[in-house]
Amino acid sequence: MTTALRQIALVTAKDLRIEARGRQTIGLVLVLGVLIIAVLGLGLGPEGRVHGADATAILWVAYLFGGVLSFEKTMALEREDSAIAGLLMAPVDRGVIYLAKFLSNLVLMLGLAAVITPVAILLFGFDLSAAPGGFALVMVLGIIGFAAVGTLFAAAVSSTRLQGGLLAMLVFPITLPLVIASTQMLIAMFRDGEPLGGVGLAVLVAFDAIFLVVSWLVFERVLEP
Amino acid sequence: MSVIANAEIKSRPVARVVSVVQALDLTKWIDGRPILREINLDIPSGRFVVVLGANGAGKSTLLKVLATLTRPSSGDLRLFGQAVGADAARLRARIGIISHQSMLYRELSARDNLVFFGRLYGVRRPEERAMDLLAMVGLADRADDPVKTFSRGMTQRAAIARALVHEPDLLLADEPFAGLDAPAVKALEELLGRLHGKGKTIILTHHDVDHSLRMAEQAVVLRAGQVVVDRWARQLDAATAIREMTAA
Repeated sequence: MTTALRQIALVTAKDLRIEARGRQTIGLVLVLGVLIIAVLGLGLGPEGRVHGADATAILWVAYLFGGVLSFEKTMALEREDSAIAGLLMAPVDRGVIYLAKFLSNLVLMLGLAAVITPVAILLFGFDLSAAPGGFALVMVLGIIGFAAVGTLFAAAVSSTRLQGGLLAMLVFPITLPLVIASTQMLIAMFRDGEPLGGVGLAVLVAFDAIFLVVSWLVFERVLEP
Repeated sequence: MSVIANAEIKSRPVARVVSVVQALDLTKWIDGRPILREINLDIPSGRFVVVLGANGAGKSTLLKVLATLTRPSSGDLRLFGQAVGADAARLRARIGIISHQSMLYRELSARDNLVFFGRLYGVRRPEERAMDLLAMVGLADRADDPVKTFSRGMTQRAAIARALVHEPDLLLADEPFAGLDAPAVKALEELLGRLHGKGKTIILTHHDVDHSLRMAEQAVVLRAGQVVVDRWARQLDAATAIREMTAA
């Protein structure tokens, strides 16, 4: 257990160190995220057809596209010069590699969210003061589930010649329950004044737990050198 | 299909020599095609073996199977006298692998790469080990430069250092000379020779048949996924090897 945690920390730290040196992934993802928010904000017009909590759906659009780009880039890093083969040759459980890549993606996704969420809040006049903690909890749970699914499928897709838009085509439908549950819950909280909890929260927690465990178990089958 | 086999290799007393690799009827199917067909090999400790074959003969797949990176479809594989099974990771920890791709993280320095892999393998004092290896391959003065700034020859030397960071008993080298210029080829050849001199078992794939036969002790020729020659390298000439690689 201690060895596994140490190895997870090593691989995650390696990924983040590479990202910190090049800032290639986070730079692209941030630009894409901000552009999506800006384009949708401007496209919807000054009349403000999207108000307050409704903007969470638009936020999810930015999270989804930014996330897919992030997942693809972090796996591409492993495929470059076949570095993944060196990693797979080490006495490291495949599940450990999955959890480390998941953590790397989660950190990048949270970085993306930390930048584009305030932009969306400003652009769409989303007043968080009623339940800022609830908003953060719902979004973080959503992002955890999305990163869990995205990490698994990015590894699977990177082993094939079918890249490009395939990852988005696979991940978006699977992530739909997360998007629906978190968006409906936030709208109910901020527009209708309902408390945090209920079925929506249970869906998010169950989704995260199921996809983390299943991905950890099947990662060995999808990761080819 | 008959296999040209040297009597000395076939009848060697395996009970007295520790076999590093024992393959029995190894077969590997990929996408419905047999890439390896009933491969039988017995490679003792300390042997320098070259695996020859035309493109698509199955050399790289064979090395991936021996590295436990991919599982054979059927047949038995024993490494260091133990069957490869659930504890493949423990056996894998005794294997080093190099190929025409460096398996290094290009954004990181050579030292960072080696320290990272050293820590994954649980090497004691990985920083010290990294610098020793970089000195051995002549890269000590470039230790802190990102690998992406290295020439092809320097990258390959760094890759060898990575493959040796955990002091493996078996080194698998898949086309390590690909893309190297003449001085780099010579340096790599000398390095492999030194490793062999230290008792490491080396299994090499290489397109230059003549060069391979000069370096190695044992030559295995694959044709369409099958072993068609397994004999002492000194008793095999390049013309015969090429004929066996390409015979219909």
